[in-house]
Amino acid sequence: MIEARGISKFFSVVNEQGLAEGLTAVLNVSLSIPDGAVVSLLGPSGCGKSTFLEILAGLQAPTDGQVRIDGKLVLEPLPSTRKEMEDYKRRYRFISPLANGVFSNHPRHDIAMIFQDYAIFPWMTAIQNIIFALKLRVAGAKGPGRAEMAEKARYYLSKVGLAEAENKYPSQLSGGMRQRLALARALAVEPKIILMDEPFAAVDALQREKLQDDLLRLRENAGAGGAPVSIVMVSHDVQEAVYLSDEVIVFSPGPGGTIRNRIPVALARPRARTSPELVEIQERIFAILQYDLNQESMYSI
Amino acid sequence: MVITDQYATKGIRRVPVELGGFAKNALGNFFQPGFLCLLILLLLLWELLPQTGLVPESLLPRLSTVAATFWNMLLHKDLALHVLYSLGRFFAAFGIAVALAVPLGLLMGWNAKIRAVLLPLWQLLAPIPPPAWAPMTIIIFGVSSGMHIFLMSIGIFYPVLFNTYQGVKDTDPRYLASARVFGASEFTLLRRVYFPHAFGAVIMSLKTGVAMGLVMLVIGEAYGGRMGIGFLLGQAKDYFLIPDMMVCMAVLGFIGWFLIEILKYVEIKLAVWKVGR
Repeated sequence: MIEARGISKFFSVVNEQGLAEGLTAVLNVSLSIPDGAVVSLLGPSGCGKSTFLEILAGLQAPTDGQVRIDGKLVLEPLPSTRKEMEDYKRRYRFISPLANGVFSNHPRHDIAMIFQDYAIFPWMTAIQNIIFALKLRVAGAKGPGRAEMAEKARYYLSKVGLAEAENKYPSQLSGGMRQRLALARALAVEPKIILMDEPFAAVDALQREKLQDDLLRLRENAGAGGAPVSIVMVSHDVQEAVYLSDEVIVFSPGPGGTIRNRIPVALARPRARTSPELVEIQERIFAILQYDLNQESMYSI
Repeated sequence: MVITDQYATKGIRRVPVELGGFAKNALGNFFQPGFLCLLILLLLLWELLPQTGLVPESLLPRLSTVAATFWNMLLHKDLALHVLYSLGRFFAAFGIAVALAVPLGLLMGWNAKIRAVLLPLWQLLAPIPPPAWAPMTIIIFGVSSGMHIFLMSIGIFYPVLFNTYQGVKDTDPRYLASARVFGASEFTLLRRVYFPHAFGAVIMSLKTGVAMGLVMLVIGEAYGGRMGIGFLLGQAKDYFLIPDMMVCMAVLGFIGWFLIEILKYVEIKLAVWKVGR
């Protein structure tokens, strides 16, 4: 269960005149995502949906608001009084509040993340990439041995169809295979939630459809205790979002993205990509995005 | 790819395999028809030009003379011992400089606060040309190995420091983010993400470091000392022995080439993941 309450994020940027200027990336977004759901964040580029996802992951601190995952705070809120500010400064004098710790590994929450450009480490082989993530997850506690971890890594590699590629480096894999590896790495740590930032944007259309189906198949009973893994996905692609999700959340155009519409997709799986219900929802979303686009062009000359 | 086959031989039997690989990598460039033609032409000119009198032999000694001088120096002037002295100092300096510069570069690239404190210091000190340190160093250390080592370390330190720092700072934030989500501590990030990412830049800087170190070796040893290849060079200058100078130059060139080839091979071996690109 992810609960985001009143999330806002402001940046200060330098404009063309060289003056500092405030930029609102996300404005007052509240959202709760139940366990096991697939939710897509959809919106034009620059509407702050990726920033929002990074805030959910704890990779960026929100300017205002709080995110809780299963009741646990992702990042402590920024100080509001002078006293708190002094405390905060003292605590984070040397490292950023985003860091997990200086010497010991602490996963903050039961999440994994997949990025558009894979973000698998090019200096590790496929299996090393997975073992790296596994090692971090069992940090501190007396974890399983190396052989056991390798066994588990192999199991997840074979699940995504990369059994033969275990000793290959990412540079030797194709784009689709790299994304599969990223998926295997995310699944291997048995998270409750997988966050995805435009995961299939960089692969070709055929691969993309296959990857989408694989994702839906693999997420079932992949979580702890055989529960389905929840997925929060940022997407540009309306068809993809509607096909995959239980709920599509449309952001208003940026800067200052807020939730524009929440559109439930209450259709049973497996779904047919061209079923009339799906197409109807897609068209509704297209209409919303189109309307926003027209509004924008009316105001900007 | 043959990456997996290469590691099939294990233990002591790996040694000839690795040596063979090194020789192939290092000498591969030389055994090409085009280059060999040029090399033979140059060597012939070197031998023949002084012989025909087009170039006075007192200024450009013949190849055979230089080769004979090399043999003579090996037998009667302890050339090998001088080279050993120089190499010993060089490696000491190299070790000290790298042991300081790489961790400092890592820390500076990793943390903005450390960077804010240390970077301006190096920006002030680095523009001082390393040879300018020589007079003060001689007063402090005297003419000793300590002075040679200090001068060389200064030459090696800055390129390694700045390149490591830059390589670490340029680490793709996506790699950091993906490791952080899995729970990586800052130390794990340094060890498993920042450093491997900067590895190419570090090796690159070590090559620059070798070159700078050799420059400082010659400069330092020319200032004094009783042993070392730079000392031999200085002595040759005093007695106007051009063949001896050429032998020293060739030996220095060979040392530089050999060290850089070793670094290249280390890079190929340790950064296998880059080779596929």
